[in-house]
Amino acid sequence: MTETALELPRRRSLPRLRGRVGREAGVGLGLLAVLGLLAVLAPVLAPHSPEAIDQHRVLGGLTWAHPFGSDALGRDVLSRVLFAFRASLSISLGAVAIALAVGIPIGVAAGYFGRALDAVLMRPIDLLLAFPALLLALSLIAITGPGQLVTMFAIAAIYLPILARVVRSSTLAVASEAYVEGARARGASHLRTIVQHVVPNAIGPALVQASVLCGFALQIEAALAFIGLGAQPPTPSLGLMLFDGYQVLEQAPWADVFPGLAIAITVVAFNLVGDGLRARLDPRGITR
Amino acid sequence: MSPRGRYALRRVALAVPTLLAMTIFVFLIIRLVPGDPVRTMLGFRATPENVATIRHDLRLDESWPAQYGAWLGGLVRGDLGEDYISHASVSGLLGQRLPVTLELTLFSLALALLVGVPLGVVAATGGRASRWLTATFTIGGISIPDFWLGTLLVLVFAAKLGWLPPTGYASLFHHPVENLRYMTLPVVTLAIGEAAYILRTTRASMQETLGRPFVTFLRARGLRERSVVYRHALRTASLPIVTVVGIQFGVLLGGAIVIETVFGLPGVGKLVVTAINQRNYTVVQGSVLVIAALFIVVNLVTDLLYGWLDPRVEARLGR
Repeated sequence: MTETALELPRRRSLPRLRGRVGREAGVGLGLLAVLGLLAVLAPVLAPHSPEAIDQHRVLGGLTWAHPFGSDALGRDVLSRVLFAFRASLSISLGAVAIALAVGIPIGVAAGYFGRALDAVLMRPIDLLLAFPALLLALSLIAITGPGQLVTMFAIAAIYLPILARVVRSSTLAVASEAYVEGARARGASHLRTIVQHVVPNAIGPALVQASVLCGFALQIEAALAFIGLGAQPPTPSLGLMLFDGYQVLEQAPWADVFPGLAIAITVVAFNLVGDGLRARLDPRGITR
Repeated sequence: MSPRGRYALRRVALAVPTLLAMTIFVFLIIRLVPGDPVRTMLGFRATPENVATIRHDLRLDESWPAQYGAWLGGLVRGDLGEDYISHASVSGLLGQRLPVTLELTLFSLALALLVGVPLGVVAATGGRASRWLTATFTIGGISIPDFWLGTLLVLVFAAKLGWLPPTGYASLFHHPVENLRYMTLPVVTLAIGEAAYILRTTRASMQETLGRPFVTFLRARGLRERSVVYRHALRTASLPIVTVVGIQFGVLLGGAIVIETVFGLPGVGKLVVTAINQRNYTVVQGSVLVIAALFIVVNLVTDLLYGWLDPRVEARLGR
């Protein structure tokens, strides 16, 4: 048997992103680029130190020097939002990265090999899904105690089963394709087949899901910090800012409104990107 | 037995191993606490005698299988142990607090359905203006963190307008009117995000259904458009809505944990948050178990409802 007889068209190595992504996704990508820059450049952009206490500006309103006003300790809200956003975004991206790093191998293995391995891998995953998401996070925090790093792993634990399920579904669909069979027939090992043919073609829906989840991670992080079980002061966190802002809501609504807006805008941006990517990366509609 | 009965039975039987696995998970929470959970619970001032007593009460001096067996036995009798701070029984505490959480989540769900489904139909059938308005509502409802929305509603309706109390609670049975005043803001807060998801699902499902041949047929037969949309298409389109409601109930329960803390509602959510902060592990275990079990039951009901709405599911799985 010769190689050429079974030569199949080369599969693309990565999901293609070229071409039109649609207007909404374009807006989302633009927003994300700006938000990313704000997060990365926070130390440069912040007009004041986020910790600097100014007793003359306690609950001070919006001015040119302090466009977002000041909080209950006279700290500059804009600078604090920038630093908190940077911290919260890192946690959310970290959580999604962990969930992808663990979820993709589990989902691919379960979907590709099926049978016993599928059952062994997916039963625990299904059990995790049987928990209300936030409760799962709280259970972990109950064990370890609150903190920023724990928050990241807790969010990853919520996302892991979701992403593993998505990857498993798309792997199931891809594994029955002719090019996978062809690769095996040509003598490619399972590992080679998975890395070269299954993963590149099955990963699209997971990326779509992951981009949407990135936004929601910000909401979870903030919620955990708000109820006192996430980041602890003085760590910068949008949730902690919202908690402080809630205490002075009537006198200084800006201390509450701007951190909340930062979360909402980021969620919108990630959702727009996710919707835009879905058209290109998830033709089967697995994440819908 | 009828396919319907078999389907229901099979589905109920499937929930049992999930519940059992859940108890193992919850049982492990306290055992996985690094160091000595009893010392962590009692703090530095605890005398060695105190520590020994509680360790014995919690059976931490026995082997894990023995501990689990005893704990599960208690669970079956409705005994979830004792709150080591107030010395109340954990099942008693949960019995007081579960109705609050149930009221909050079920009222929110009902309100979300009342708002989300009609708006979803309008979004699928209406003109440009209604499409734009519903899209805005969806984006807002999904992207705005619910607890932040809650604080903003408190600012407007409690602080500025003074129409509703900002926090607090009155029993539904003893003071129904007061109860509704206290529950309005939390329920609305939770319902808005939920309504956005229901709207989105209803819209997609209705758009798909309205393109099917049977709808064209009904229209061709001369049925009024209102009847085609609401009586025929909506029933067919309701399956994905039921699925989403089932999944979203978990989100709703999670949201309730945070919202109860914001509004000072004495529900299971507030109980678990306080218990985690106080390292009151028996209470943590009890509340996690109750919320998780509630979610399993809701998923079970969703699946049964699904079979009832779509007899094909029962026929296929009930064989």
